[in-house]
Amino acid sequence: MTGPGSLVPDPLHPEGPLPTGPLPEGADLRGETARLPETRGLWATAFRELSHKRSARIGMVMLGLLVLVAIFAPLIAPYEPTQVLLGKEDVRPRDPPCIHLFGCDDSKPQHILGIDGNGRDEFSRLIYGSRVSLIAGVGSVAVAVAAGTLLGLLAGFFGGRIDNLIMRVMDVLLAFPSLLLAIAIITVMGQGLINAMLAISVVTVPAYARVVRSAVLTVRENDYVAADRALGVSTSRIIWNRILPNSLTPLVVQATLGVATAVLEIAALSFLGLGVRPPTAEWGSMLAAERNQVFTAPHLVFFPGLAIMWNVLSFNLLGDGLRDALDPRLNR
Amino acid sequence: MKRWKFLALLAVLALVVAACGDDEGEVTTTTGAVTTTEAPTTTEGATTTAAPTTTGVTFEGLSYSAPDCTYGGEFMTIEAVDALTVRFELCYPDVAFRSKVAFSAFAIHPTEHLEATGGGGDALISNPIGTGPYKLAQWDRGSQLILTRNDDYWGTPAIAETLVFRWSTEAAQRLVELQSGQVDGIDNVGTDDFETVAGDASLQLIPRQGLNIFYIGMNNTIPPFDDELVRQALAMAIDRDRIVENFYPPGSSVATQFLPSAISGYDPAATWYEYDPEAAMALLAEAGYADGFDVTLSYRDVVRGYLPQPAVVAQDIQAQLAEIGVNVTLNVMESGAFLDAADQGDPAVYFHMLGWGADYPDATNFLDYHFGAGASAQFGNKFDDLTAVLAQAAQLSDQAERDVLYAQAAELIKQHVPMIPVAHGGSAVAFKADVAGAHSSPLSNELFAVMDPGGRDTLVWMQNAEPIGLYCADETDGESLRACEQINESLLGFEVGGTATVPSLATACDANEDLTVWTCTLREGVLFHDGSTFDANDVVMSYVVQWDAAHPLHVGRDGSFTYFPGLFGQFLNAPPAEG
Amino acid sequence: MARFVARRLLYSIPVLLGILLVTFLLARVIPGDPCRAMLGERATDQICDAFMERKGLNEPIWVQFGIYIKDVFTGDLGESFRFGRPVTTMLLERLPITIELSMAALTVAVLVGVPFGIISGYKHNSLADVATMVGANIGVSMPVFWLGLMLQYLFAVVLGHTFLSLPPSGSLDAGLIPQPFYAVWGLPAWGIFDFFSNMNVLNAALSGNWEAFRSAAGHLILPALALGTIPMALIARMTRSSLLDVLSLDYVRTARAKGLPEKRVVVRHALRNAMLPVVTVIGLSLGTLLGGAILTETIFGLSGVGKSLYDAITSRDYAVVQGFTLVVAVGFVLVNLVVDLLYTYLNPKVRVT
Repeated sequence: MTGPGSLVPDPLHPEGPLPTGPLPEGADLRGETARLPETRGLWATAFRELSHKRSARIGMVMLGLLVLVAIFAPLIAPYEPTQVLLGKEDVRPRDPPCIHLFGCDDSKPQHILGIDGNGRDEFSRLIYGSRVSLIAGVGSVAVAVAAGTLLGLLAGFFGGRIDNLIMRVMDVLLAFPSLLLAIAIITVMGQGLINAMLAISVVTVPAYARVVRSAVLTVRENDYVAADRALGVSTSRIIWNRILPNSLTPLVVQATLGVATAVLEIAALSFLGLGVRPPTAEWGSMLAAERNQVFTAPHLVFFPGLAIMWNVLSFNLLGDGLRDALDPRLNR
Repeated sequence: MKRWKFLALLAVLALVVAACGDDEGEVTTTTGAVTTTEAPTTTEGATTTAAPTTTGVTFEGLSYSAPDCTYGGEFMTIEAVDALTVRFELCYPDVAFRSKVAFSAFAIHPTEHLEATGGGGDALISNPIGTGPYKLAQWDRGSQLILTRNDDYWGTPAIAETLVFRWSTEAAQRLVELQSGQVDGIDNVGTDDFETVAGDASLQLIPRQGLNIFYIGMNNTIPPFDDELVRQALAMAIDRDRIVENFYPPGSSVATQFLPSAISGYDPAATWYEYDPEAAMALLAEAGYADGFDVTLSYRDVVRGYLPQPAVVAQDIQAQLAEIGVNVTLNVMESGAFLDAADQGDPAVYFHMLGWGADYPDATNFLDYHFGAGASAQFGNKFDDLTAVLAQAAQLSDQAERDVLYAQAAELIKQHVPMIPVAHGGSAVAFKADVAGAHSSPLSNELFAVMDPGGRDTLVWMQNAEPIGLYCADETDGESLRACEQINESLLGFEVGGTATVPSLATACDANEDLTVWTCTLREGVLFHDGSTFDANDVVMSYVVQWDAAHPLHVGRDGSFTYFPGLFGQFLNAPPAEG
Repeated sequence: MARFVARRLLYSIPVLLGILLVTFLLARVIPGDPCRAMLGERATDQICDAFMERKGLNEPIWVQFGIYIKDVFTGDLGESFRFGRPVTTMLLERLPITIELSMAALTVAVLVGVPFGIISGYKHNSLADVATMVGANIGVSMPVFWLGLMLQYLFAVVLGHTFLSLPPSGSLDAGLIPQPFYAVWGLPAWGIFDFFSNMNVLNAALSGNWEAFRSAAGHLILPALALGTIPMALIARMTRSSLLDVLSLDYVRTARAKGLPEKRVVVRHALRNAMLPVVTVIGLSLGTLLGGAILTETIFGLSGVGKSLYDAITSRDYAVVQGFTLVVAVGFVLVNLVVDLLYTYLNPKVRVT
């Protein structure tokens, strides 16, 4: 969004990116062995900090629940998500919820959240939708992280023209509103979950490239890196042992928050009819399908939206917590 | 204005025609300056020049002729006999002529305006000039279309001084606007909302007769639909009862044929294939698709009387076809692009969901428009036996004879399966209870001039979508037609809320004995919204710019003028068909 | 300082060129024949040959790019193939609506976010702080389209017949044709005036038409709320953290130690510096607003750039896609540039260097 040397703080991370300073004392400088003792200590400390912070705890619990639901979906959901029940059960589309515990007649089949517009069980679709959300969110971020890391490394390591070129391209990508660019990409590539994930990856690469690049720049000038080079350590080992561990923490934080954004974007794309293809159960498209029923059957609109919010919130809380926990600046 | 330029252009054109000598059609002005070419003129006895008008200026009536009837269309000659008489000579008898001529696409525009705007483009489609009870005040693109009363209207002036069109694609949105009092009337009440409106004392629910058909179209030039067995197999694989029962409002019915029951020509004895998935799979195996096949179903996510819930129905069809091994991918397209693609037989929409609402209450509007010789390429190649039967029936005047032929046509359609008829959709409009004169039209031709919005001076109507353009001649979408027909009128009109034709700009259109020559007597003293006088030349011009594809004013919005060849057979000087 | 400004400006140029390149490629990469896409399937080969020649589509790609750039700089953004109208005309109609919506959303976001952020930062770890942060987290996690639908339900149905009811869609009461302000003032109908007169609330205010003002503002409340929620949360968070940072600095402690009244400490000393990053966040949020505008405009039936762009993309109306995307992206870059410069100007630390 803003060029290099920009002093404007990032609105999403007002506390600033993690400083990547010199390694703590006692770090093994030989560089051949991959693991630095403090790194493991750092993670352990981080986890401890994380579990002390209440909002991060909540985030972890929320995410944990979501992952469990996604994994055990076939056990939790009473029906298949794409199973049309018309003709098989005595139900009509948009039938209201029937919960036996709350007084619904036992002879009628139980549908906790009612029936959707196509005669499918809404609750089952909600449960299975968690899989799509998680896969789409994590998947698109994983690809974006991989690509962004590569670009950031190239830019930071080689500097000069390459750095300029790569960062300019990132700036151009950031110049377009992300949703718009994603829509355009999908129009070119065609509708579908994979294409939507790829589109979101493309749009979110710049953030990760930036993070890695700044980590590289910070570490590049350090003495022990110079020492490594003097010792003749290969570039790849330098990257692996020095640069990546340093960029790991801000990358993890950024990625966690990035999943939240990705989930929202997938839902938005599906809402606009450009994400998953029907009849896949996905929360955004479920919302879109029942848009017209917001006044007559609001539960069909409310719960998918709530599920999206749950997913996004859990990653946001977790990411915030991670950032606070991994930031050595904040003394707790 | 630019009349001299236009006449000069005509003269040049005539000379060019004379030079080349192999173009069809020519214009002659009956002042005696007939340009001769090798093709003989066919204006009969038309050297009579002018009947003096009341202003003492002699009237130069325009006349336009095709050299002969081999071009495939209905019109032979359109002639302004005098200032208030227009004569249409047809190549074949047309029993539905009055209904066709009343249709909004054939509304009359002033010649000067057509010339001034070049026959199309933004100038015309955003600024039509007509004779109707309302005239265009402002089109606030994207938010509202505002019309004001024409106080010089030749008939009963409109009651509401201002008529506002608004739109929303969501039925829930429309209902909320109505309930909150922001609008006076809405179109296409949502399927689940019928009861809500009926039970609300401050609203009135007005059902609309379902003169429509919802079908699943197949392009028979694209595999696997080039195999008739496959089409027949799919015809058996759709559980149409389930679709109508679950996704259509009260008043809808399962379609046994293409025609709805209120259209004469409907065959009560006709049946469609029984829902039989096993037989369907057997047929598919016979055709070589024992393992099923993959297909893409295209549609537009737009609510229509024939299809109130497109996305839901599409998914149900997808689920149903999955049971016989046909793997359906859904493809939602934007409305305009979808209609254009379907019209052109674009391979991308080889399997699509579409429907049709009646423009005029005759079988030719349904069957001929879709399966006749002049129909679009929507379903691929035409079926000769079918087009022959339809052509024959269109030329008869005895309804009983036509009914026999239409029964045959239904049988042929069942055999060839160009499309699978699914449902006739009932729909409804809703108004505030205090809107007097509120009605629904089976042809979606609601006439707002007769509605009194409870004594208020603004009537607000909310429909499904924004009109695309206001030049009726080059529009096919009902949303556009409903708007432009408040502004522009045709020779005849339809009765309020019904399908019978009534006099409009013509006080009468009478035919000769064999229905090949129709003479329309025009109303005297009618003024266009810009103050110019309405006369027969305007009528001729309005028809000719559509009829003659080579005319310089044949421009429109995108130049398709789809309704003209659909209702009148073919363009003059039609561009050669794409290879 | 001047050098910094010059450097930033220079950096923007390749980005702008890049944007031009991307929008140029966008049309050529979307599948389909450009002639048939522009003129429809009815276009004959003869017409298409002439079309390709006229548009220079037979030239090598870099020549075409040059022509495109030239067209853009002479203000020719092409014609919408669907509507038959020039893209610039459509832009003049729709951009004001999106801008007005974004401004309204931003206003809501600032008016709510800043005070809450201040309270939250000042009363660190209190109930108010926790509540605000929880609210902000939730706000940032809500899908805009869901929020929009829920708001519609709440204000148009649940509160429908109360004085709190709000119109669920549209931009003006039906039938209201407010006069453009330049007509009221007797000014000539220049394009720039037309542009601003298309902003309904602004136009009504400028022409003193209070009925139109009420109508336009009422229609804008719900969309502004829905669109502004995420920026609101971001601004609240930023304000809070910035204030926290500043409050822990030495000079604040000094001020307190000096015995200055607390209000003076906070308002005169702390806030002024804390607001700095917030100002930039406000500016940068404009970008997210443009993206969210697509969804908000679709739900609330506002015909702004977002909705038109979406319609154009799905209907392959290339000229509109190119033109609108270009304008949006360039606007984005310009806003960022201004924000950057503003921050640099306001931040005394940077100014000195």
